[in-house]
Amino acid sequence: MEAFMLSSRQLRRPAGNICRSCSRRLKLRATRSYSSTSTASTSTSQPDIYDVVCVGGGPAGLSLLAALKANPTTAGLRVALVEAQDLRKLRSWQPPPDRFSNRCSSLTPSSAKFLDRIGAWAHVDRARVQPYHEMQVWDGVSDARIEFDWALDQDAGRAPAGRKIAYMIENLNLTAGLLRRIDELGGVTSFEGAKVEDITFGGETDALDLREWPVVQLAGGKQLAARLLVGADGANSPVRTFAGIDSKGWDYERHGVVATLELEGHGWGGGDDSKIAYQRFLPTGPVAMLPMPGNYSTLVWSTTPANAALLKSLPAKDLVALVNAAFRLSPVDLQFMHTMSSGQEDEVSWRLQHTPVSAPQATPQPVIGVQDGTVASFPLKFRHADTYIGERVALVGDAAHTTHPLAGQGLNQGQGDVEALAGTIEYAVAHGQDLGARMSLEPYLARRYAANHVLMGVVDKLHKLYSVESGPLVPLRSLGLSAVNALAPVKGFFMRQAAGSGGKLF
Amino acid sequence: MPPRNGSRSLASSARLLRRPSPAQNTRIAATSLNKSFSTSTTRASPPPTSQPTDAAFTTVSPDEVSHFNALASSWWDPQGPSRILHLMNPLRHDFIRSCRASVLDDPPPPSTGLKYLDVGCGGGIFAESAARLPSTASVTAIDPSPEVLSVAKAHARRDPALAEKLSYANTSIEQLPLPQTPQETFDVVSVFEVIEHVSYPAEFLDRCTPFVKPGGWLVLSTIARTWTSWLTTNIMAEDVLRIVPRGTHDWRKYINEEEMRRHFLQKRTGWAEPRCMGVIYIPGFGWKEVSGSEKFGNYFFAVRRVAES
Repeated sequence: MEAFMLSSRQLRRPAGNICRSCSRRLKLRATRSYSSTSTASTSTSQPDIYDVVCVGGGPAGLSLLAALKANPTTAGLRVALVEAQDLRKLRSWQPPPDRFSNRCSSLTPSSAKFLDRIGAWAHVDRARVQPYHEMQVWDGVSDARIEFDWALDQDAGRAPAGRKIAYMIENLNLTAGLLRRIDELGGVTSFEGAKVEDITFGGETDALDLREWPVVQLAGGKQLAARLLVGADGANSPVRTFAGIDSKGWDYERHGVVATLELEGHGWGGGDDSKIAYQRFLPTGPVAMLPMPGNYSTLVWSTTPANAALLKSLPAKDLVALVNAAFRLSPVDLQFMHTMSSGQEDEVSWRLQHTPVSAPQATPQPVIGVQDGTVASFPLKFRHADTYIGERVALVGDAAHTTHPLAGQGLNQGQGDVEALAGTIEYAVAHGQDLGARMSLEPYLARRYAANHVLMGVVDKLHKLYSVESGPLVPLRSLGLSAVNALAPVKGFFMRQAAGSGGKLF
Repeated sequence: MPPRNGSRSLASSARLLRRPSPAQNTRIAATSLNKSFSTSTTRASPPPTSQPTDAAFTTVSPDEVSHFNALASSWWDPQGPSRILHLMNPLRHDFIRSCRASVLDDPPPPSTGLKYLDVGCGGGIFAESAARLPSTASVTAIDPSPEVLSVAKAHARRDPALAEKLSYANTSIEQLPLPQTPQETFDVVSVFEVIEHVSYPAEFLDRCTPFVKPGGWLVLSTIARTWTSWLTTNIMAEDVLRIVPRGTHDWRKYINEEEMRRHFLQKRTGWAEPRCMGVIYIPGFGWKEVSGSEKFGNYFFAVRRVAES
């Protein structure tokens, strides 16, 4: 990390909106005023002034910094990253090729295109990224099914190159790549392992009035005054709390169980250039198996907290059996097996003999193992902030919205936010606007809020639609799924939306 | 189109204008032109004491100053009466950039270290933004209204990036000392939404002229004097939609683009390469460049000072 700090200092470009001599002068003046107005404890440190202070070094925050530094118009801005974790581990992230992290995301081609444009895609370990070309989605209650396959899309002229629906990528692979890109670009002052103690407003001197500027107070006394404070600090965003922006929503009473699975083979397509993603809607929530390179897959199983606790407690062989059952057995059989505290393996193999077999590629290849230490769970929530902007504040990613993982859109929404915010900042800089002023940030809000809202609404309604076990909704939703499945152009439309290559609807 | 408070006489004359017959319209326009713009050059009826040497002469209208003084506090409120001015500001930079890029000088004019003089800067919307651009060396911004200027100065203190590049002066163009050397002239002299508020536009522009560097630009924006602009800027914007404070505009002071062109290219010398861009404000959407709209609404206009040979 020391080496990084040094190189970033060397590479820092001459200041953009704030020249160094002003910030030095400000310090002198600030010293005077602080000593007269505040207690001795704060008089020892004065805020450093930045154009953009980004709190949070996850995929959204790092993408924003890379996007700003990769663009000639915004490269001169003084920017700082504040991240609670020590990023040294991420910089040296190099796991063995047959081990995969359990936190993976589905990255749409449009997110990948954005990452490529900011120069980060080249820094991602591509051997650990798995594109998929087909999706199998079906209703666990009625078995109505929809197959998404680019080969079926008649409007092929608009399909993205390579006909990928999306890329499965470990979150760590993405953030490590972004960090490498940021280090390569230089010019980002990075505060790592830094705890945000408080966010306050600045003070006033004869020459300067920073009473509307957020000042991030770090443990140890460092203070960062921000022309624009970006909250990329996750669902419990301290920046959002500071800005007084409310976030509304509900908890799904569901947990997402994740694990890295080992399959019998390399997928039904026989190799890495023809992989299928599977998702089955069960009354307790959707279970998804998403392909990783080789014979690996990642599991995302949304289920009740009690079921999640059971899945986490089972020995590997019984968990494997339950996962296989989740894609094959009836919801009633599955429910029964969740009541067993052990012995699922024998129970599943007995019941599978009595379950009608569909075409082999209709269900994922059988799971044969789970990687040690990869079984984990997290509660699922729906949250949407009332707004993404305030005076000198912008929220991106999970700080702005948290959604159900069933459509795999969470990370892509964050990338969409970042692309829009970076574009808004670029326009402000090119036209001499104060990039932190709420008015300058309005285009960001306009571009993202409604789009996210629609997408999150659709995802939420899908979850609710498929949690119904019986009654008139079941045949209706099955009819809907089957009808869509029969209509190639409609499916093409959905696939382009999923791939982020469709019109600007979402 | 910055806001102006209705003094009694202006408000009543504005009321007279509410339902003009076309004939009346033409007459009023002609009268106003005689008083202010065109005749100052023909000398048919020269405005009182128009000699540039007269220290007491001013193109500043006292009514206008008091109007803007009253609006000063809301100048920087993004939801306030000046919102559509804030929205227009980025287009000013686009226009200046396109003017500067449109000439094929050899060698090309420098693209950094530019000096701006912003005349009638108001709360400093344009002046601040010009000072933030990396290509700008300095911005001098002047306005005759003391209240407005103190708002501008107070607002500039909120941004540490401005201190070194932006300086304000509470003065009219007449009181501003003339440049003594070419180094004291400006690459861009901007007169945004001002000309429709001054008493003698031709004299006013003459006063601006010595500040323009040879090869530099005089850039202005205003509103064409047409039926459409009377309807949109006086009736719709001020009375119906209330997006501009009442009494801000006196339609009779509006100047058409071809009058502007004629003034610089035929009645004055030393100007060339006129540029124009018509813009339209669409509520809920913002400002949009619309080719040809300079004939009936808001427009930007620029002329280049001929380089001395």
